[in-house]
Amino acid sequence: MSENFIKALRTDEIAPGGMKPVELEGNEIVICNCSGNYYAVQQRCGHMNAPLDMGTLDGTYLTCPMHCVQFDVTNGEALSGPVPADFGNETPPPMISEYLQNIGILMKHIHTESILTYKTKIETGWVYILL
Amino acid sequence: MNPESRKKALHYFFGKVVEPLGFKFTPDVELMNFLLEQEVILENKHGVPFCPCQPLRHKRERDMQIVCPCIPFHRKHFDEIKRCWCGLFIHKDVLDPDTLPQLSPKDMNHV
Repeated sequence: MSENFIKALRTDEIAPGGMKPVELEGNEIVICNCSGNYYAVQQRCGHMNAPLDMGTLDGTYLTCPMHCVQFDVTNGEALSGPVPADFGNETPPPMISEYLQNIGILMKHIHTESILTYKTKIETGWVYILL
Repeated sequence: MNPESRKKALHYFFGKVVEPLGFKFTPDVELMNFLLEQEVILENKHGVPFCPCQPLRHKRERDMQIVCPCIPFHRKHFDEIKRCWCGLFIHKDVLDPDTLPQLSPKDMNHV
């Protein structure tokens, strides 16, 4: 085992299809168990820094809990932008409407970036991550 | 964002939705790729992968009924013609989608 690999957690700590956040040497990382294949990505969303471990993992696709931006955990690639807000047929109150307009102006300048991935290794029932 | 990667992801997610509804992707790969590509373009523009074969009315309640896969919103119609409006999805028992006519709800006396 190379010195650069850091012991992160036991493989049985994450059920298949599950995720778990870890902090290794100041790096916030989410480890994903995709049917027995372990992938590690940065914990923060490439859109607005929401914690991705609170989102959902389906296959190798990770969906952010905040704006539903999706990433491929095998390579960190951003697959979609944020999903538009849903107010159904309701018109928000004027104060909220104005607030949302201002937020919308700010949000226009926010791009969705791909996220960092980390190489993983499994050894003796542990997941190791290369930082 | 890479359109090819997004197409692959949409294919994965749509497959999981339509399979329990009794539908599958068309075996016409060229058509499937073309339609998914159009949906990626619409998603980039609107934030939602709308059906590429139906017009947006800019009325939310109606437009949400053409978000792909729109089968649940047009179930009776699509069950009868054994395909979705675009032909991206066909009934599981259909082998040759070219034999399926694209009949509108009006043709089917639904309206």
